[in-house]
Amino acid sequence: MQIFITGYGVISSIGLNVEENYNSLKNKTSGIKLTDSTIFKNYKVGSIQYSNEELAAMFNLQTKGSRTAILGMIAAKEAFKDHELSSEIRTGLISGTSVGGMDLTENLYKDYLKGNFNTEEYKHHPSGVTTIEIAQELGLEDCFLNTISTACSSAANAIMQGARLIKNNVLDRVIVGGTDALTEFTFNGFRSLMIFDEEWCRPFDNTRNGLNLGEGAGYIVLESEVSILKSNSKPIGILSGWNSSSDAYHQTASSPEGYGAVLSMRGALEMSCLNCNEISYINAHGTSTPNNDASESMALKTVFEGNVPAFSSTKSYTGHTLAASGGIEAVYALLAINRGVLFPNLNFSQAITETQLIPQKIFEEQKRVNHVLSNSFGFGGNNSSIIISSLN
Amino acid sequence: MKVVATCSLFPEEIVLNGKKIESIPSNEVDWKKWVYSSLNIEYPKFHKMDSLAKLAFLGISVLEKEIDFSTYKDEEVGLIFANKYSSYYSDNKHFINYTQKNMVSPSDFVYTLPNILTGEIAIFKKWYGDNVFFILKKFDIEFFIEQAEFMFSKSIKACLCGWIESNENSEQAYLFLIENKEGIVLKDEILEELIIDKIN
Amino acid sequence: MSELKEKLKAQIIEQLNLENLTPADIKNDMPLFGEELGLDSIDALEFIVLLEQNYGLKITNPSEGKDIFFSVDSLAAFIEKNIV
Repeated sequence: MQIFITGYGVISSIGLNVEENYNSLKNKTSGIKLTDSTIFKNYKVGSIQYSNEELAAMFNLQTKGSRTAILGMIAAKEAFKDHELSSEIRTGLISGTSVGGMDLTENLYKDYLKGNFNTEEYKHHPSGVTTIEIAQELGLEDCFLNTISTACSSAANAIMQGARLIKNNVLDRVIVGGTDALTEFTFNGFRSLMIFDEEWCRPFDNTRNGLNLGEGAGYIVLESEVSILKSNSKPIGILSGWNSSSDAYHQTASSPEGYGAVLSMRGALEMSCLNCNEISYINAHGTSTPNNDASESMALKTVFEGNVPAFSSTKSYTGHTLAASGGIEAVYALLAINRGVLFPNLNFSQAITETQLIPQKIFEEQKRVNHVLSNSFGFGGNNSSIIISSLN
Repeated sequence: MKVVATCSLFPEEIVLNGKKIESIPSNEVDWKKWVYSSLNIEYPKFHKMDSLAKLAFLGISVLEKEIDFSTYKDEEVGLIFANKYSSYYSDNKHFINYTQKNMVSPSDFVYTLPNILTGEIAIFKKWYGDNVFFILKKFDIEFFIEQAEFMFSKSIKACLCGWIESNENSEQAYLFLIENKEGIVLKDEILEELIIDKIN
Repeated sequence: MSELKEKLKAQIIEQLNLENLTPADIKNDMPLFGEELGLDSIDALEFIVLLEQNYGLKITNPSEGKDIFFSVDSLAAFIEKNIV
């Protein structure tokens, strides 16, 4: 049974929808900047330059929620825009998030300390409520809903989970992906891990020094063939393979040889019945930390036996969007396939000494992009890889 | 498929396969530390873990009284964990650190992701298989069984499942091992239902 | 200096949750990041927090920490040298 993709939606610091994101990718316009916010101090972040109220008004959102929920509503709505609900099509929403409604709670807390306690506002806090609010905005509140929280691989795991539910005839159609807003909570935590680059990040570069945080949401719609006959929706790709594995090494660091990553990539290739040389492009996890990029490079070399296909990290465009990254990057994989392009790995100049891998440096058009591998590796050693293929 | 073993940990008792195997003294300040000592394990990293990870670790250590995990290859065990409150306890700790104590502890922050507990299990047992963490409204054994079925379609031979909760009101763990073989789903459904009621 | 070292050992045990150890288990010249204590990269960051919280000393680059946190001896020497 094939799992088709029949919709995609995204919001990030490089665009409020798929077209805007694509144009930024094409024009090499990064969304990573210094902001006026006192929270992020002097660190560059990939933030979306609109307040919650502005976004709700721009997108005519009817449902209240945290920023994480709002970003999710916007991207999920775009993904589902050509779809309609039907009693004949069992539909679901599976969303990944690491921070849930913390963006609201951490501000409400200040009111709480002053003696103003409004329990109503705290209801947006839980991760699961984020998913419910996205569902409410799309009219899916009575459908199958699920929330996944596996750090930076959450959206990729949501995609896998959706595929499994369709394959096992539990659902016919499912919106899958993830969302995370920038919060003081996350920023302070990552800063204590000393994992930021004070400058614009440089994935896979020998001088890379850390990541830039970002925010956003990305969703795709998975659908069975039988469902497509009923919904009349237009497929834009196929989810041909996926796999998840444990690195079993450390809570936050990846093993030097990237063993978990090797397993997740090999498993995805095996499921898709593809040989290594059939992969046209890899959207790497590529956070730009010294550890991840070294480990992922080793894993790429192992899996592809030295013949690593064109690869890039798009995190020097968007920043690291944490739980949303797998969803956002799945959208970018679809764009690469359908527009026949390869996205560059911005801000690269020098290969990592130990691995000598050189990522895609330019935006290339008129390419035959048949199969894209996308990696998402989360803290806790949760390694996930998906493969998206063209319809042809 | 077959549930081959279950265990639950509450501040007052440890239950293995539906039978109470240990009563925890009620005046015990740190009941998880007491359980760790009573199990006679030597794993210093335990003390650095947060509440969720400690509960998961203790749960698997209790299950090891019944199960010989060495019979599985390191890619054959899948991890399926879930709870309702995510990493609430550690979230709160981290939040208080930076808002009231003006300091941030990196190890406290790391545990503000509930799936770190599956990472800790994988590190402890050197397991490289599938792993996932869900946020659910309540414990639902059918959900876990369905997830295990999905994992069994690959090379996974057994799924270690767990509902681990730690918040200001309760600390509890319920773990069970499902194998991909013929057999009844739950050995003693009535007893297990009592435990599940207690969890929910 | 030896009073500082004893105090440091107790602080290290507390900050890093090394509950299985007593100050007597940590020798002054023992490599803190060697085989015996099993400390990792997160523990190295906790040392940075320990220095700032307890002694007001800031380390902005983790790689500076390698020499400073080598042993209780080197840590104590750094504090003595830099504390106001």
